[in-house]
Amino acid sequence: MSAMPAQDQTAKAMPAARRRRGGAMLGYLVRRSPVAVALVALFLFAAAFGPWLAPHSMTDTNLSQALLPPNATNWLGTDQLGRDVLSRLLGSAGVAAKAFLIVVLIGGIFGTLLGLVAGGLGGFFDLLISRVTEILQGFPTVLVAIVVVALLNPSLTNAMIAVGLAAVPDFARVARGVAIQLRDREFVEAARGLGAGEMRILLREVLPNMIGPLIIIASFDGAQAIMWEAALSFLGLGVQPPAPSFGSMLREAQNLLAIQPSLAITIGITVSAIVLGLNLLGDALSDYYDQGNR
Amino acid sequence: MAIYLVGRVLGGLVTLFCVSALAFFATALAPGNPAAVLLGNLATPERIAAVTHEMGLDQPLPVRYAIWLRHTVTGNLGTSNLSFKPVNDLILAALPPTLELAILSLLLVVVVAIPMGLVLAQGRDRWWARPLSGLVTLGISVPGFWVGLLLIVLFSVTFKLLPSGGYIAPARSLSGNARAMVLPVLTLAIYLIPALVRFVRVTAATVLREDYVDTARAKGVGNAGILLRHVAPNTLITTITYIGLQLGVLISGAIVVEIIFSIPGLGRLGMNAVLNRDYPVIQGVVLVAAAGYVIVNLAIDLAYSMIDPRIRTR
Repeated sequence: MSAMPAQDQTAKAMPAARRRRGGAMLGYLVRRSPVAVALVALFLFAAAFGPWLAPHSMTDTNLSQALLPPNATNWLGTDQLGRDVLSRLLGSAGVAAKAFLIVVLIGGIFGTLLGLVAGGLGGFFDLLISRVTEILQGFPTVLVAIVVVALLNPSLTNAMIAVGLAAVPDFARVARGVAIQLRDREFVEAARGLGAGEMRILLREVLPNMIGPLIIIASFDGAQAIMWEAALSFLGLGVQPPAPSFGSMLREAQNLLAIQPSLAITIGITVSAIVLGLNLLGDALSDYYDQGNR
Repeated sequence: MAIYLVGRVLGGLVTLFCVSALAFFATALAPGNPAAVLLGNLATPERIAAVTHEMGLDQPLPVRYAIWLRHTVTGNLGTSNLSFKPVNDLILAALPPTLELAILSLLLVVVVAIPMGLVLAQGRDRWWARPLSGLVTLGISVPGFWVGLLLIVLFSVTFKLLPSGGYIAPARSLSGNARAMVLPVLTLAIYLIPALVRFVRVTAATVLREDYVDTARAKGVGNAGILLRHVAPNTLITTITYIGLQLGVLISGAIVVEIIFSIPGLGRLGMNAVLNRDYPVIQGVVLVAAAGYVIVNLAIDLAYSMIDPRIRTR
């Protein structure tokens, strides 16, 4: 799905580390990449509490207050309809978090299952699933979104279904890699010897060992999901105005580039900061699981 | 070799067939009767029924698919529901700007990203490696289309140097074409460069750890020689495959860039068709873009198998 180098991620994500306590992980992340933790924490906070934090309405228009520069009541100014930019950005953070969740859930559930089956059972299943995900992998996300939106309607969920489909191969590749590594290891053999079925082995013995690599992919693909929400809503395929989202806000800001360029700049910096935070977090998570394996 | 060739071509055809079925059924199953949309709010039910029959929309779905497939295979993509022009003509008119945008951007990306990735891999302990890597991570995190908006603010609004949109065919004015294409090409290239730099850096770093690099160093080959003669060639093959796989990203990016800079290409044609529910055009655009994707990847696969015989037997 992503513009990320696939090899890079997989190579880092591959080692199957045993889970350790969450506290140790958080401590490592804070020390290793405080910027990432701070950005992601801020994003999650804004997404969760946005509606309560917002100082003004996200959609109420007031033309007498249009296009105000940043001031004491509207900290980031107002847009062409007099809506408070900060409030709308807080609403957009919630939309971005939804985009993240939908994409990671679709990609994570379907991708992990496909990868487990392909790597764990091998043979014909592996061949079929690998071919299908290979095709899905490179297919232009915007085209998938166009088809999905043509079939359904423009909305956040529908646009994110397209992006989620594009995330399936990323999860499948990692799950398949770990499953192949583990399927002949002693503890799996032992379970097999005790009479466990193949599906049970995959879910009970193999799956818990790939949580780390899957979290890393979720972090990178979640970052991509937020970028895609912005791009697809910008194109008119996602969130529809007047609802706020990074993409729909940028779409409106594009018409104001000559009058109020600061609007587009503010929105873009906010998106970039969130995506950067998630990408850096992904890097730090890779290092954490890497280090645990040595 | 012949078996390998036939296998790859068949695989490509199967992909195309699946995409065509998907494109057809997705649009055919979409809610709303195109005939009613076409005739507007004031049409009588009789008139709608007549046009529905005329357009063949009252036939069973498999029959419609068979007819559509026969037309498509013979190179007839139908007629637009909106402008009544043949879809073939619309796509042929939209193809040159899209191809120009994609090819120029790809050239710029390759020329900038590959040397940058190689140099970053070799100089990873130098003082400039960390800030440069940071810049690459930042580049991956910035939405590509937003960079386009920033370029418009900078070069069109502030300095008034370049147009903020539109397209002029090179046949009409070469300089006008060049001026119109600078910002779109730059936008698309900046979107694609960071990912390729990262890929080349990782691949080249692996090559740099090979024994033959140590051997060359022991024989007294300098840094530049090692990079150009040993690392670059061995990085390039993998990189070409990677670029082929990233073609989808290029197509997606080109569509977005066309919308920002109002370039009348394939992407804008497709987007307008979606927003107006112009199904024949949606099907045509999706099919042509998918065909481009399949054909280029097939060509890369074949070229690759000629360079490296091991791949054929895999």
